[in-house]
Amino acid sequence: MTNTIAFIGLSDVIIGLSLGSRLFLIAVGLSLIFGVLGVLNFAHGAFYMIGAYVALAVTNSLIGNFWLAVVIGATAVGVIGVLIEVSTIRPLYGRLEGDLDQLIVTFGFVLIIHEVIRFIWGSQPYSVDAPAALDFSVSVGGGTFTAYRLFVIGAAFVVMLGLWVFITKTYFGALVRGTSSDREMASILGVDVPRLYTGVFFFGSFLAGLGGALAAPLQSVSPALGDQVIIDAFIIVVIGGLGSLSGAFVGAMFVGMMQALGPQFMAAGHIAIPFLAMVLVLLFRPEGLFGGFGE
Amino acid sequence: MSTQDNSIGARIGTFGREAVQNGWTRERFTLLGLVGLVLIGLGPSFQVYLFTEFMIIALFALAFNLLYGYTGLLSFGHALFFAGGSYGLAIVIRDLQPTIADALGSGVAPLVTFVIGGLVGVLLVVLIAIPVGWLSVRLEEIYFALITLAFGMLGYSLIVQNPAGLTNGTDGVLVLLGFVELGGLEFRLGDRRVYYYLTLTIVLASTYALWRIVNSPFGTICKSIRESPDRAAALGVDVRYHRWMTFILSAVFVGVAGVLIAGLASVASPYHSHWTQSAIAVVATVIGGATFFAGPIVGAFIYLYVRWGISRYPALEAHWEFFFGVMLILVVLYFKQGAVGGLVMLHAWLLEVQTVYERDGAGAAASFVGDSITTKLRNARDVIVARLRSVWNRLRSIGQRGAT
Repeated sequence: MTNTIAFIGLSDVIIGLSLGSRLFLIAVGLSLIFGVLGVLNFAHGAFYMIGAYVALAVTNSLIGNFWLAVVIGATAVGVIGVLIEVSTIRPLYGRLEGDLDQLIVTFGFVLIIHEVIRFIWGSQPYSVDAPAALDFSVSVGGGTFTAYRLFVIGAAFVVMLGLWVFITKTYFGALVRGTSSDREMASILGVDVPRLYTGVFFFGSFLAGLGGALAAPLQSVSPALGDQVIIDAFIIVVIGGLGSLSGAFVGAMFVGMMQALGPQFMAAGHIAIPFLAMVLVLLFRPEGLFGGFGE
Repeated sequence: MSTQDNSIGARIGTFGREAVQNGWTRERFTLLGLVGLVLIGLGPSFQVYLFTEFMIIALFALAFNLLYGYTGLLSFGHALFFAGGSYGLAIVIRDLQPTIADALGSGVAPLVTFVIGGLVGVLLVVLIAIPVGWLSVRLEEIYFALITLAFGMLGYSLIVQNPAGLTNGTDGVLVLLGFVELGGLEFRLGDRRVYYYLTLTIVLASTYALWRIVNSPFGTICKSIRESPDRAAALGVDVRYHRWMTFILSAVFVGVAGVLIAGLASVASPYHSHWTQSAIAVVATVIGGATFFAGPIVGAFIYLYVRWGISRYPALEAHWEFFFGVMLILVVLYFKQGAVGGLVMLHAWLLEVQTVYERDGAGAAASFVGDSITTKLRNARDVIVARLRSVWNRLRSIGQRGAT
């Protein structure tokens, strides 16, 4: 490491991108669900944590294949999401003050999931091994990174691109966009709105599980994970705009860079900056810096 | 001045006489309640501690509910004001106690410092709440919840950053309540029983003040805003200004609770400013019943005593949050009135039982009890079956469509 004196090294930027990619995978599902259903899912961080734990369990089991673990983790979280949406969130759609009730119900699931995870795995942190194929080091910009870390950055870009194509270019994307902008009109035109809601909730939860499973080798997996990431995810979707996909991406990269570079150019206060940004965006541009849904 | 004192004395006398003479009146209940509260202070030391904590959390949740239940704004950042009170007290005690001891003598210094620290804590909270509230009430619903969360966590990150060495970072500031010698009376302010009575006095006074606020014209306007902000505005209420004032009032009483928790826990900790602390008020209020004044009190009672009850079974000890998660979901989905709503229904039902008993005798009353319990259980069963069936149909239809 020769660049310790350098102001901002390329290696720091890569660390920032890596943190940002991880955050993007959490935030994008949260943003998608809010954009379409209008539900702010407090349990989204807990979903992410389930993804990480399922990946842990599958990797350490007889199956032992990390890629399979990622698929199983993401799908399992998607299914859990559907069960929760159908059983407890659905009855609240039409209710007066339903938004706050949904927030409180999903917070109830934060508590439940946290305890179930502690019951099964205990409170100690675990680590998940990166897949053997990517378990080597690469030197970039004066820093050394595992290939897996770079892979996760790539994965986030792929997810972003795939979602953008899905939302803007496909028929289902059009249905999602239409329902997001006018639920009643979509319903009149023959969209099965309840089914679409369940589908979007599945997909959003799936993305949270995917993020958790993919990021499992990059962090220690412990029951505190959910509470940590949900606040970051809230910051990101607020800054980017609740419901905005590109906003989630830019917001995630901003927070990731802040976490990686912040300590270098301000000794104190870098933890506070994202919250300050969140306050300012809420006050001056509550729709977020990147505006509407799907953009 | 003296006439007023006489009249208060006379009123207390009348109050006491009525309480003794007129059977189960409201006065008698109040008097019994007060005697009970005084007696709790003489109980086992741990129970005294637990009850003190319950009272503080109850005040915290009550003040939170001024904003949530009475005005319809869900704040996820009230921990900011909780911590504000704590740190105000802790910093005054740490930095000014020696000066005050020099000025007034070491006998009364701890008490005076506590009072000054408490006032500084509340003043600090007011100074924070004025701008934070002014900005926050511009937003509504989810956005209000998010901005209060952001302000709360902003406060948390500042406290952890330890600006100018004031807050001592993640360790927090120790609160040491010293010995008081006052006219022959000698006690340790931090003693659990002494602190219990101190807390009891302050919490009762604050609860009474909150009760007066929600039953004043001011409180009526709050409720009208909760029911319909647009209609309130049409009637000439300045909704935003009114929400701002409610925000500040709510913050003040949360600050009082924060001052008290610092003395009880002997530390002002950054933990008290974290969003999970704000969530405690949400959980207690929702479970207790946000639409009732007493809801947060009952909710705080359930929160602390269920937790304590669960902690006695080692197998369950670490998992009490699970229970509250389930309670929270059930209450929001099926029973928005919460525990107090349940108690009110129970009371109405017991009165019915009594009426039947007086009219038709014990046998009829017993069969009435049996009948109404089976009806209630049947209704509950129907609700559960209907819910499960709708979930099942939903999932099956997804499966079918997936297959085609």
